[in-house]
Amino acid sequence: MLHRPTSHSAAIGPGPVPSLANPGPALEQQPRHAPQAPSCGSEAFCVDPQALSSSHPRQHTQYPYVTGTSVLGITFKDGVLLACDTLGAYGSTKRYKSFDRLRKVNDVCMVGASGELSDFQYIMRLLEELSDDDFCMDDGHHLKPAEVHSYLTRVLYNRRNKMDPLWNSLVVGGFHSGKPFLGTVGMIGTSYTDAHLATGFGNHLARPLMREKHHPDMSEEEAVALMHECLKVCYYRDKNSINKFQLAKVTKDGVSISEPFALETNWGFKLFQNPAANAVGTW
Amino acid sequence: MEPGGMAQHDFLSQPVSMGTTIMAASYDGGVVMGADSRTSTGTYIANRATDKITPLTDSIYICRSGSAADTQNLSRYVQWFLEQHGMELGDEPEVKTAAKLAQMMAYQNKNFLQAGLIVAGWDKHEGGSVYAIPLGGTLVKTPFTIGGSGSAYIYGLCDKLWRPNMTEEECRAFVVKAVSHAMARDGSSGGCIRTVTISKDGVKRTFTPGDQVPVAAGELPPPQRAVPAQV
Amino acid sequence: MSGIGTGYDLSTGTFSPDGRVFQTDYAQKAVDNSGTVVGIRCKDGVVLGAEKLIISKMLEQHSNRRTFPADRHAGMAVAGVAADGRSVVSRAMAEANQYKSIYGEAIPGHVLAERLGSFMHLFNLYGGYRPYGVSALLATYGKEGPQLYLVEPSGVTYRYFGTAVGKGRQGAKNEIEKLKLGEMSCREGIQAVAKILHQVHDEEKGFEMELAWVCEESGRHFQRVPQQLADEAEAAAKAALEAEDMDD
Repeated sequence: MLHRPTSHSAAIGPGPVPSLANPGPALEQQPRHAPQAPSCGSEAFCVDPQALSSSHPRQHTQYPYVTGTSVLGITFKDGVLLACDTLGAYGSTKRYKSFDRLRKVNDVCMVGASGELSDFQYIMRLLEELSDDDFCMDDGHHLKPAEVHSYLTRVLYNRRNKMDPLWNSLVVGGFHSGKPFLGTVGMIGTSYTDAHLATGFGNHLARPLMREKHHPDMSEEEAVALMHECLKVCYYRDKNSINKFQLAKVTKDGVSISEPFALETNWGFKLFQNPAANAVGTW
Repeated sequence: MEPGGMAQHDFLSQPVSMGTTIMAASYDGGVVMGADSRTSTGTYIANRATDKITPLTDSIYICRSGSAADTQNLSRYVQWFLEQHGMELGDEPEVKTAAKLAQMMAYQNKNFLQAGLIVAGWDKHEGGSVYAIPLGGTLVKTPFTIGGSGSAYIYGLCDKLWRPNMTEEECRAFVVKAVSHAMARDGSSGGCIRTVTISKDGVKRTFTPGDQVPVAAGELPPPQRAVPAQV
Repeated sequence: MSGIGTGYDLSTGTFSPDGRVFQTDYAQKAVDNSGTVVGIRCKDGVVLGAEKLIISKMLEQHSNRRTFPADRHAGMAVAGVAADGRSVVSRAMAEANQYKSIYGEAIPGHVLAERLGSFMHLFNLYGGYRPYGVSALLATYGKEGPQLYLVEPSGVTYRYFGTAVGKGRQGAKNEIEKLKLGEMSCREGIQAVAKILHQVHDEEKGFEMELAWVCEESGRHFQRVPQQLADEAEAAAKAALEAEDMDD
C-alpha cells in the first residue's frame, strides 16, 4: 500500500495532515519530519534542540474557550446510557444552546464530551476517519467500544506529552458481545472504566447519587429515572448548565440519541419563598 | 493611564484590534450580516469607517472580529482556498465549505490568532446559512449569532427579537437595531452600521452613516442639517 | 531490435516516432485481457459487476476481490492487474479521506475521478515507472446524484451511462446499449449486469460474479450487493439466457 496522507501515521501522530495542499504524487519521497528523528521514520524520543534554543519558554498549553459541562454515564441490564446538556458555554456566557455533545461512533459505540468543544470536533473527525476505514475495509469488522476507549486514551496522552493537550474529558459508552462498556478519558490521558461514570462537576454532584442507587442489573426504566435525577441535580448546582438535555442509549439494537428535552424542576419549597421565616434578620 | 487622558500615547504600542459588534441572522430565503465600523488601537479609533464584512466568494461573506491583521490574512487565505476549490469543483463553493476552511485555519493556529469569525452566505444546496467560529476554532451552525465585544450587551435583545422565518426587511431591521444597541453601550463598537444581505437573488449592501444610527436611551440625536454634508 | 515496439516500448520516458507511448498501450492491453467488468448507471443508483475467472479449484469463495469501497458514497471495480488495482483504490481512499478532512464534505464523483486520473497519469511520465495496468470503474452517489466514471491507465477519465472493460467489453457494451438505463432501477440493474456477464463469458473455466452497488436501497452507501439478492439475480439471469437459447 502507498503511504496515505492521513492522520494515523506513526511519524506525525494522530490527526489530519495539516497541509492544505493535495497529497503529493506517490512518486515523491516522504520528507523526514524532524532533524532529530530516527531514520526509521518513527517519532523522535528526544526534544527538538531548536525548540530549546529559544529564549522564551515554550507555551503550548492553551485555554478552553467554548466548553461543555459534565457528561454522565451508567450501565444497565441491557446496555449503557449517556446523558448531558446541549450547552456550549463561552466562559460563563451560555452561548450555544443546541450543541450535540453526544455522538455516535458506530453501531456499537458512542462518545460524550465535556471540555473544549473545538477539540471534541477534532477528536470526532479522528474517530470518523477510523470508522470510514472500517467501512472501506469492508470485512465486517469494526472498532469495539473498548478499542475506541483505548485509542482515545492514547491520543489524549500523546497530546499531553507534547505539552499541547486536547482539553476534554470524554466518556465512551458501548455494547458488545452481550456486555455493556463504559469508560472515561481525561485530558492528560487518565482513563478507567466503571459501571457508572461522570466527568467534571458531575463527579461531585451526580456520582454520589449513582453510588447510592445504581446496580448493574437495573432495568432501562430505572436507569433512565436515575439519569434524570442526576441531570436535575447537575442542573440545580452547576452554573454552566441548562435545562436542555440529550439522552443516548446503546444496546444490542444499536445506538440511539434522543431529541433534546427539558426536565421538570422543583422550586416549590415554602422556605424558598421566605428563607428567613424561622430566623428573622438573617440572609 | 492618567485620569481622563491617553497614557503616554498608548495607541502607538497597542495592537490594531476590532473591538467589535458583528452578527449574522438567517431569514426566509437568505442571510443578513451586520457590523459596526470601529477599529481601535487602545483608546484611539484607528478607523471609524471600517468594513468588517468581507467577501469570500460572490455569495459567501465573513464577519471579522479580533485582531485586524489576523482576520484580514485569514480571510485572504480562505478566499484563495475557495477560489481553487471552486475551480476544481466547477461550481460555486458551499457556505459549509467556506466555514470549514475558516474553522480549520482558526483551530490549527489557535495559539497565534485572535480571531472571532462569522461565515454566512447562500448556496443552492442549503439556501442561506450562518456559521459561528469563536475564539478556539469551534464550528457551530446556528440560525443567528452575534460576536465581538459589543455582543455581550445585546444577548437579551437578540434572544427577544429573533424569530425564524422573518422577511428580508424584518431581518435587516433586526440586525440594524441589535448592532445599534451594542454600539450604544460598548465603547469598542461605534461609527456606522453596515449590513450585507445574501439570497439567491444576489448580494445587497446597506450603509447607515454614524449620524443616522438609531439613538438609544440617555443619548441625544445629533443635529441634522437640511442637506447632509457630503464630501 | 525486432518485434512490435522496435525499441521504443521499453519505458514511458520515450515516444515512438509515430507518437505513441507503447508502455501505456501495453498497460491498456493488460486491462483488455482481464475478466470483464461492467458498470451501469440506473435511475436510483449505480451497479458494478465483475467477472472473476476461477483460476484454481482450491480457491476460496469470494477471494480475489474486484470491487472496493473508497468512501461511504463511492466505490470502484477494477479490471486488470489486481495488485495495481488495490493500490489505486488505496489512493482513492486517501483522496476521499483528505477531501473530507479539509472541506468537511464527501468528495464529489467528478473530483475523485479527476484526481485519480491525475494520479494514474503521473506513472506515464517517468522512465523509471510503469503505468498502472488497471482501468477503474468508479461509482458515486452524492449531491449530484448517481454517477459512473472510468479511469484508464493513461490517466484519461470518462463519465458514462454504462460501460464495460476487460475481455468481453465489446459484447457487453453492445448489450448495455440495448438497456433502457433511464427507466431501470438498481434491482433490475443487478439482474441486467448478471445477464451480461454470463453472456460474454466464454471460457471453459467457471467464474464467480461480484456485484456491488451504491443506491437508494443501500442508503447511498457503496456495498457489495447482499448475497441473497446477488444469487437471485444470477439465477434469474441464467434462466433468461436459457429461455433465449430455446428461442434460437
